[in-house]
Amino acid sequence: MFVPLVALGLLQAAPSVARASDTDDIRQLRDQIQALEEKLKVIERKQEIRDEAAATTAKSTPKVTADEKGLNVSSADGSTTLHLGALVQFDSREFFGDGGGVLNNSFLLRRARLISDGTIGKYTSYLFVPEFGNGSGGTATTVAILDAAVTVAPTTAVQFKFGKFKSPLGLEELQGDPNTNFVERTFVSSLLPNRDVGAVVTGSLFGGALSYTAGLLNGIADSTTASGNSDFDNDRDVDARLWAQPFVADKDSPLWGIGFGVGGSAGREKGTSAVTAGYKTDGQQTFFKYGSSVYADGEVWRITPQASYYYGPLGALAEYVVSAVNVRPSAPTATTALPKTQLENKAWEITGSYVLTGEDASYSGVAPREPFNWANGTWGALQLVGRLEDVRIDPKAFPTFAAFATNANEARAWGAGFNWYLSRAVRLSQDFLQTRFSTNGRLPTTQILLHNETALITRVQLSF
Amino acid sequence: MKSKLTFLLALAVAAAAPAKTVQLLNVSYDPTRELYVDYNAAFAKYWKQKTGDDVVVRQSHGGSGAQARSVIDGLSADVVTLALAADIDALHSIGHLLPANWQTRLPSGSTPYTSTIVLLVRKGNPKNINDWDDVVKPGISIVVPNPKTSGGARWAYLAAWGYAERKYGSKDKAKEFITALYRNVPVLDSGARGATTTFVQRGIGDVLLAWENEAYLALKEAGGDQLQVVVPSTSILAEPPVAVVDKVASRRGTTEVARAYLEYLYSDEGQDIAGRNFYRPRNERIAAKYAANFPKLDLFTINEVFGGWTKAQQIHFADGGIFDQIYQK
Repeated sequence: MFVPLVALGLLQAAPSVARASDTDDIRQLRDQIQALEEKLKVIERKQEIRDEAAATTAKSTPKVTADEKGLNVSSADGSTTLHLGALVQFDSREFFGDGGGVLNNSFLLRRARLISDGTIGKYTSYLFVPEFGNGSGGTATTVAILDAAVTVAPTTAVQFKFGKFKSPLGLEELQGDPNTNFVERTFVSSLLPNRDVGAVVTGSLFGGALSYTAGLLNGIADSTTASGNSDFDNDRDVDARLWAQPFVADKDSPLWGIGFGVGGSAGREKGTSAVTAGYKTDGQQTFFKYGSSVYADGEVWRITPQASYYYGPLGALAEYVVSAVNVRPSAPTATTALPKTQLENKAWEITGSYVLTGEDASYSGVAPREPFNWANGTWGALQLVGRLEDVRIDPKAFPTFAAFATNANEARAWGAGFNWYLSRAVRLSQDFLQTRFSTNGRLPTTQILLHNETALITRVQLSF
Repeated sequence: MKSKLTFLLALAVAAAAPAKTVQLLNVSYDPTRELYVDYNAAFAKYWKQKTGDDVVVRQSHGGSGAQARSVIDGLSADVVTLALAADIDALHSIGHLLPANWQTRLPSGSTPYTSTIVLLVRKGNPKNINDWDDVVKPGISIVVPNPKTSGGARWAYLAAWGYAERKYGSKDKAKEFITALYRNVPVLDSGARGATTTFVQRGIGDVLLAWENEAYLALKEAGGDQLQVVVPSTSILAEPPVAVVDKVASRRGTTEVARAYLEYLYSDEGQDIAGRNFYRPRNERIAAKYAANFPKLDLFTINEVFGGWTKAQQIHFADGGIFDQIYQK
């Protein structure tokens, strides 16, 4: 009797035990879920705190980027920046019909520069460019400081520039070295100074419709870069330039890309260093030079009207220059001074370009829409270029002032070529150029002048 | 007669002088945002009435140590209102921005109000946290900011240490106590306000070691149905100091206004604003007005237990100090 009663009691108690066990399990599960929820909240909060700390640090962390524009470092607020870039131009020059090797076919490191520029604070910028290539054919390379300038720009309308920089005169001369249509500049640029030391005030007015530059520089000869970073005489040159782009605000107008202006310089020079070391062809052969004793003594002046036009893929640039210098056959002494003569040398050029792949032509080069990529079937940008140029030496230079061996009185050249922009940084160029010389009936005294210069110049350029 | 005319002329010129606008930057610690919103408005009104000039006070808030670092690194603060004297001392010793005797230039050691550290828990106190000993029990999750960056965190650390050292009688026991405390800390915010966000908005932790003013502010904003304040048996008297940053104010030409700005904290209105924002006013009459808001508890000072801030900073919070020894990330 007892056993069945016990069995019955056990059977009645079994469901209660099972329910109690279920309740314990549920409580345990709830506790575990709560603990996991707590852990998850902690993890999320830690991530929030890390993100806040990163955002705070980012406000003071300098930014560094490296791309085809170079290495750029800037402070967190962007007011202080440093850009490091380079320009390397590797040329191949081939000459034809030069009477058997008179002109050397050669490879040449035409330019090799490190470019450092940037800003310090809101108003100050700088540019520093040493030149390591300096190859213009047949000359020893030396390291030179090409540009070293500081600009203080309280507004865009008024900026002050000090140091060594391009003389603010010629349109083609002022174009960036990586961006010229042809591998070598024209005769017009040969009749203008290259880089000089001084101070200018410059600015942009009326929303960019008018730009001006005016300043005081040491003064140097045509086609010359100031060496030694100091003046060789007691005088200064005044340089000035006005440039107008009257339709710059109307981007839809076909006249948007018109620009025109005039540059000029005036000063006094004294010395044999104040006359040009010579005018050169595209192949960098000297076709005119003053005699070694020719002495500049008096006024020098230049005037250069200039214009350009860009419309879509079409580009055009034209310039004219008169460069005048007062010279004596030799330096005056205490007792004698040979009479001086003002010589006016003149040059003009007109250059056209067209980007076959449709990108816009511009004064600052062509930016390909897509870089060259064989796998993707993109080819960069292809630009065709052509030009005519002429230079005439003042007839009064002959025979007294012209060097015996290089005495052409006129050179006229034409050229055609292409620029293949594989990317913004890499450009492949090839120019075919022919220059004819005139010696005004006099017998040419150098082999170079006996034949036209016919040159094929190929360049690989890296610029960033 | 002539001198009277000159005087009247000078008055006329002064009256005719156009009102100028002065800008000040007050770099403060984390939980004082609401205090200085009220105070800045009051001071601007006072200064306008007194001088006719407008004053605009910009605020910067963050962990006290981090804020001091920012000022040393160049943040142009005309005044600092930080959590502890050691942070302002650093402006002298590292930044050379104010003189060594800065603390003597205003009453009460340049501390216009005081506070302390209390325990903020969930409503109903489900984990039964009633004093410091309960905080270090296993399974309790504590929210407190990082003493390396937060002044409030350093006060909280010292409050807990002081409790343990006085109760258990030795520094070793206190170190064990602090080690157990930080073992219960799952996340370290950079400042007191961040820690309040973690506890109140994110719902993390069982107890927040909070500035007294921060705890009552959280109670007011979150509602008394979610949180409650537990007053420990003992805590530390926190004395947040204020100072003019002489080098910056002198360079910016704001010294006079900056001094007046801090001096006004001691005025009746300034003290009343402090009391309204749950800071303990120094002015006894105004402190009595707000006495009901502040529970009575045994408060020890940093000088009594730690020999001052310089020693406390060096022993506990400097690189390689006790906090670095006991807290592993």
